[in-house]
Amino acid sequence: MAPEWLRIFWSYNVSKAGVILLAFTVLASVYVLTSYPPDFGVRVWNNPGYWADYPKEAPPAWVNLLTAERAPEHIVAVSNTPSSTYTSGSKILTIYELPIFYDFKDYPSFLSLSVGPIEFYQSPPIIEVSVTRPDGQTVTLYTAPVSSIFPGEEPPFKRFTETPLRIYLSGEGEVIQSVQRFLSNSGVRISYEDLVKIGPESIIFQAIGDDALTGNVLRGTYILRAVFQLSSPDDKISWVKAVVGGRVYGLSGTDRVGRDLAAGLLFGFPVALLIGLVTSSLTTVIGSSLGILSGYHGGRLDELIQRIADILNNIPLLPLLIFFTFIFKPSIWLIVLILVAFGWSGLTIVVRSIVLQVKSEQYVEAAVSLGTSSWRIMSRHIFPRIAPFIFAQMIFSTPSAILAEAALSFLGLGDPSLPSWGQILDYSFRSGGVNIGLWWWIIPPGLLIVLTGLTFVLLSLGMEPVVSPRLRRLR
Amino acid sequence: MSLGRVLAIRAVSLAVVLFGVLLMVVLVLGATGVSDRILSAYVNDQLRVIRQDLAQRIRDPGELESALEQYRSELAASYGLDRPWYQRLPQMILNVLTLDLGYSRTITSFTGSSRIADIIAERLPNSIILVTTAVIISALIGMALGVRAAVRAGSRYDRILSLLSSISFALPSWWTGLLFILIFSFYLGLFPFGGLYSAPPPTGTLERLTDILWHATLPVATLVTVIVGGWAYISRTIVINTAKEDFVNVARAKGLPENLIMRRYIIRPSAPPIVTNIVFAISGSIGGAILTETVFNFPGMGRLYYEAITSFDEGLVIALTYLYTLIYIASRFILEILYVILDPRVRL
Repeated sequence: MAPEWLRIFWSYNVSKAGVILLAFTVLASVYVLTSYPPDFGVRVWNNPGYWADYPKEAPPAWVNLLTAERAPEHIVAVSNTPSSTYTSGSKILTIYELPIFYDFKDYPSFLSLSVGPIEFYQSPPIIEVSVTRPDGQTVTLYTAPVSSIFPGEEPPFKRFTETPLRIYLSGEGEVIQSVQRFLSNSGVRISYEDLVKIGPESIIFQAIGDDALTGNVLRGTYILRAVFQLSSPDDKISWVKAVVGGRVYGLSGTDRVGRDLAAGLLFGFPVALLIGLVTSSLTTVIGSSLGILSGYHGGRLDELIQRIADILNNIPLLPLLIFFTFIFKPSIWLIVLILVAFGWSGLTIVVRSIVLQVKSEQYVEAAVSLGTSSWRIMSRHIFPRIAPFIFAQMIFSTPSAILAEAALSFLGLGDPSLPSWGQILDYSFRSGGVNIGLWWWIIPPGLLIVLTGLTFVLLSLGMEPVVSPRLRRLR
Repeated sequence: MSLGRVLAIRAVSLAVVLFGVLLMVVLVLGATGVSDRILSAYVNDQLRVIRQDLAQRIRDPGELESALEQYRSELAASYGLDRPWYQRLPQMILNVLTLDLGYSRTITSFTGSSRIADIIAERLPNSIILVTTAVIISALIGMALGVRAAVRAGSRYDRILSLLSSISFALPSWWTGLLFILIFSFYLGLFPFGGLYSAPPPTGTLERLTDILWHATLPVATLVTVIVGGWAYISRTIVINTAKEDFVNVARAKGLPENLIMRRYIIRPSAPPIVTNIVFAISGSIGGAILTETVFNFPGMGRLYYEAITSFDEGLVIALTYLYTLIYIASRFILEILYVILDPRVRL
């Protein structure tokens, strides 16, 4: 049989909505805690190199469901095994083929090729990148040795073990020249500067008519080919990856650096919960114990606690938060510390006034006359009476901590090692994302802040009739 | 206790708060070495000017260096850099109390002065107008909605209002601002993206006024959206609680007409606690205004705060932290007076 208070709490729709939202938030946090690396903020989120192969400022992929013509999606093709190997004299040719089916109206945003760890024994492998188009024409894009040997180095030579070799085909001068040559073979002349401006990928993926560009995408299967010329049979290539940059990406799009916003938004859940719950529970513990002490003990101690609480209660929080995080290095613990240090006073004042009432009740007087110790009276007789109220206050104060952290982050004073929703919005505002209407960069993070705040407001609305029975029959 | 005495006690305790905040700010600045850094920056700035000046007259490099060194030690002494930070404390506190806030390194006023007091004097009125307009509008709307909900407590209207006010409570002002810009400026093109004047500003007085109103609409609307929910909910709760008082039952038992009971026995006694809540409204909106101004590039103190943070202008950040505390406390004091006048019971 559920306890009475739980039954009352559950009888309101706001409580149910709050519990469902809370469950969702907790699930998302658990997912992040179990699947994200602990140094996600430093090593992944704030590391531009990690996001190089992502489209920049791309809206979410599901916008394609709402539009008639599908925008190019992000295509990644990886191959771990060569499709064929030839030997000619002392040279060995290892060929990796990456088929890419391209069926969109627009050109891709970029083209890049990455090569994983390489091991070689004599001279560095030479890579040749080419693409075979659906119309049968083949364009050789790029040729270069993948690495070099340092003087005094002994084989085997290992390269790209930490970060793969990344060839940004869209920006390579050699690729642009190759494409220019390819065009002139088809009778189209275009200057190098113009080609840099429109990007070589928009020619590679374009149908070419008689002596002219058509302006239309050539749809079909492209085969991107990476040929490695090895000098020893023991040389090893681990994998080859081709990226055809889309114009839409993932569940939530990307930002200016190409960061997958869905990853950052998910990471915001545990951060918000951490700040909200740690702050509100510490504030509540300190505030209520000082309030009980102040109300029950009375005298000088009461006077002292109440004076301090009164002073703290009159301090504007946000300016001081800004001041402290500005002077010290912004860190999540500093923010929590300040929120707690300045936040306990309101609760202390209220708890004290309730304790003053409870103290004069008969059961407390009975306990006193039995010679019960003060500590026992406070913890066993007074605390249980006001516990529901304190618990409701704790839930009610949670959103304010989350909002405070978000506000600080928005002002650029967030903890850089823990990306939060406020920080995502800070960057979108600072880089002018609002003025050019990048809605997927602005609406979701704010909506999540509101939803998380609302979760706790709804829960405390549901708690209210439990705590103050006067309101019970009104709803 | 007399009215004067009550107010005097409040004034003293608020003054203690103000002084406490100031002391804390100055102590943190001194102990972390930030204060030394600001002062040396001033000294270096002035030395740069002096060096250019001296280089015209003194040709010998060695002589120039020694002359500069002398200037440096004189300047350092005049700023108190030759003494440890705790000995400078009294002077620093005195400076701030007399609103001698120093100079900004990066930001100047619209008239070109880099005195912090000048910069702030220009921006302060804008902020005050923004916040008061928003608080007045939200108070009027919020109270009307809240009292209406209290009269029909438990109705569908009441429930919807409760939900809407909790959403309003959870809305961060700055995100609401961003959303408004996205909708009303970017997609609909109805309002400007920010600022207070068009460029170039219109010439006629009337055109100028409408231009300012046009620019201020979104910031005010943002603040109202965020504050109004709290107002509605608090007014509702207070009126419901008053309606349960014994004197209301007595009035009913006497057979007084219901709307008279409402006006004289419920709404009138609810007024003081509602007014107290202006305190919280103002405190909430001061924080909210910092961010709202930032979002709308509104030339008030909040935007200045943001600019000071992003350009690492320590002097300005400190001055603004102090001034925000001062404004907050002053507005609280004014409201205490209002409260005492409205509720005679406080004087007993």
